[in-house]
Amino acid sequence: MFNKVLIANRGEIAVRILRACRELGLKTVAVYSEADRQAMHVRYATEAYLLGPAPSNESYLKGDKIIEIALQSGAGAIHPGYGFLAERADFAQAVEDAGLEFIGPKPSAIAAMGDKAIARETMMKAGVSVVPGTEGTGNLSDEELLKLAPEIGFPLLIKATAGGGGKGMREVKSLDEMPVALQSARREAKAAFGDDNVYLEKLILGARHIEVQIVADKHGNVVHLNERECSLQRRHQKLLEESPSPIMDEELRAKMGEVAVQAAKAVHYESAGTIECLVDSDKNFYFLEMNTRLQVEHPITELVTGVDIVKEQIRIARGRKLSFTQADVKINGAAIECRVNAEDPYNNFMPSTGKISHMVLPTGPGIRVDTGVYAGFEITPYYDSMISKLIVWGETRAQAILRMRRALEEYKIVGVRTNIPFHQAMMDSHRFMGGQFDTRFVEEEFSLEEIAEGKETFPEVAAIIAALVTHDQTERAAHVVRRGDRDTSNWKWLSRWERLSK
Amino acid sequence: MKYATTIDGKEYIVEIIDERHVSVDGKVIEVDFESIEEQPVFSLIVDGKSYESYVYRTEEDLEVLVKGRLYHAQVEDERERRLRAASGGAVAQSGPFQLKAPMPGLVVAVPVSEGQEVKEGDVLLILESMKMQNELKSPRDGVVGRIHVGAGDSVEQRQKMLSVE
Repeated sequence: MFNKVLIANRGEIAVRILRACRELGLKTVAVYSEADRQAMHVRYATEAYLLGPAPSNESYLKGDKIIEIALQSGAGAIHPGYGFLAERADFAQAVEDAGLEFIGPKPSAIAAMGDKAIARETMMKAGVSVVPGTEGTGNLSDEELLKLAPEIGFPLLIKATAGGGGKGMREVKSLDEMPVALQSARREAKAAFGDDNVYLEKLILGARHIEVQIVADKHGNVVHLNERECSLQRRHQKLLEESPSPIMDEELRAKMGEVAVQAAKAVHYESAGTIECLVDSDKNFYFLEMNTRLQVEHPITELVTGVDIVKEQIRIARGRKLSFTQADVKINGAAIECRVNAEDPYNNFMPSTGKISHMVLPTGPGIRVDTGVYAGFEITPYYDSMISKLIVWGETRAQAILRMRRALEEYKIVGVRTNIPFHQAMMDSHRFMGGQFDTRFVEEEFSLEEIAEGKETFPEVAAIIAALVTHDQTERAAHVVRRGDRDTSNWKWLSRWERLSK
Repeated sequence: MKYATTIDGKEYIVEIIDERHVSVDGKVIEVDFESIEEQPVFSLIVDGKSYESYVYRTEEDLEVLVKGRLYHAQVEDERERRLRAASGGAVAQSGPFQLKAPMPGLVVAVPVSEGQEVKEGDVLLILESMKMQNELKSPRDGVVGRIHVGAGDSVEQRQKMLSVE
């Protein structure tokens, strides 16, 4: 059984895993790129080794080098975190082949869930409904797509195979519209991704993105830890998550939980994993995909269930049985997570780089901050823009929202722009408070300006501050020039003057 | 010293009387103003009300963040004002627009070519940073001038990439 763990990641998640290892009394090995020499995960670990230059493919994606470092340092296990190598079946296999423990599922489970077509087929066999569509069935021609469309049903979406960010995406209401829509979608996809392949997917109206966390041990025990509501997204990036979901009822929760457990069993899953679903306004749910790794938003589940998911992953990897059963899993209160990104919400969420010159973290009751940055740390363009996660717990959802408002106000990050004002506006949004939103809410209906409308504004205060700041800077510039005039201190000067005049 | 401060289009005349007093459009207000730890964070107390603000200086203006709302401020002192009035009030509005990199990154594509006419809002360049592709758009109608970068180039922050004339 291993007692030293290599963490093949960086940033907040590396720090999160290090903390779990420390609490379990395990030694830790960090790996880092040249850009991360001063990062928190390097300083927190028992040992740290350089991987290579800043770009991910020369550092955090170098699986061979990471395995070599694990072997040389005597680490018995590798935790991949999320992103980078976390969902690469070949890496998990190589770790196993090197005689090391991969803290995650078996390579076969990663592979099965990583291939869209296989994943959908596996789910359908396990009796789980999937979003009707042609994804994963290869590249189809216009004729084939037109023939398949009525089977899927309208309205439907044409999506770019290589896509993302809504590029090459078209909403189609009827078969008549389809030929034109196909052409323009292909043209846009070609321009954006150099690949004009598209697939069809049924458009689920008013869909919410809800996922179920599961944990499974090596002895066949699978337990679900309830759901997370992740509908608030922008360009398919989650921004804010909460647990439980405001639309969930006991019946649906039990049903979705049961399906998630079935899905995990179908691929002989081990460790922590997540089944992502779309839930329509009639509370029908459809399987989207399974994430075979720890998720960014795992802390909200930890706060409401009391289960430390990372520690559980490590225990499972060490061959232990789950320390609890389904009946032990309860929901205590409500938790919300805001992803704090180095992005300017006033400028189309443009990434912001630079040195964090000043930072004050929110503290006090019910607050948790998972972060990998500190004042003095440089945010580089090489990695993800997420710099920290602010997670709060409340007795009820309303209490959690009030607490999140308070925490966001306390959180000061200076030096780079952050999306904190976006989250503050979200906490003030009536739609959010009422729990009435779907996956399109942020992009299509939410606006910072609208939330601000009708609120008290302080243009005079802003005018005074702007004038005072400008004045101070002019004064200081003048002062610097004048300083040489009398470079001894005023006190010394005064006493000399007094002596002279005696 | 008097400053003409424009906040989101509305002008306020702010006079700094002494360390503790300013006037806004002639109305004298007692203020207590502190810069926090040499940071662009400021604390202002007016009439017992406490305001905390972040102030960012951009190329065009000051951005003042107060209570979760961002205000765009242009500040001119009297001298600047007189100079501008003397020069016939011609604000330097014309001249080519220089598209500079808002952050370090990798140029993914330049969908325009030199001499091409563009409209306000047209995408001039796609820049990748932090795993995200960002479309940089033209702030006005015009003709694309020199293009200094191409797809695949790495750029530093504020590096000139192309101009619109």
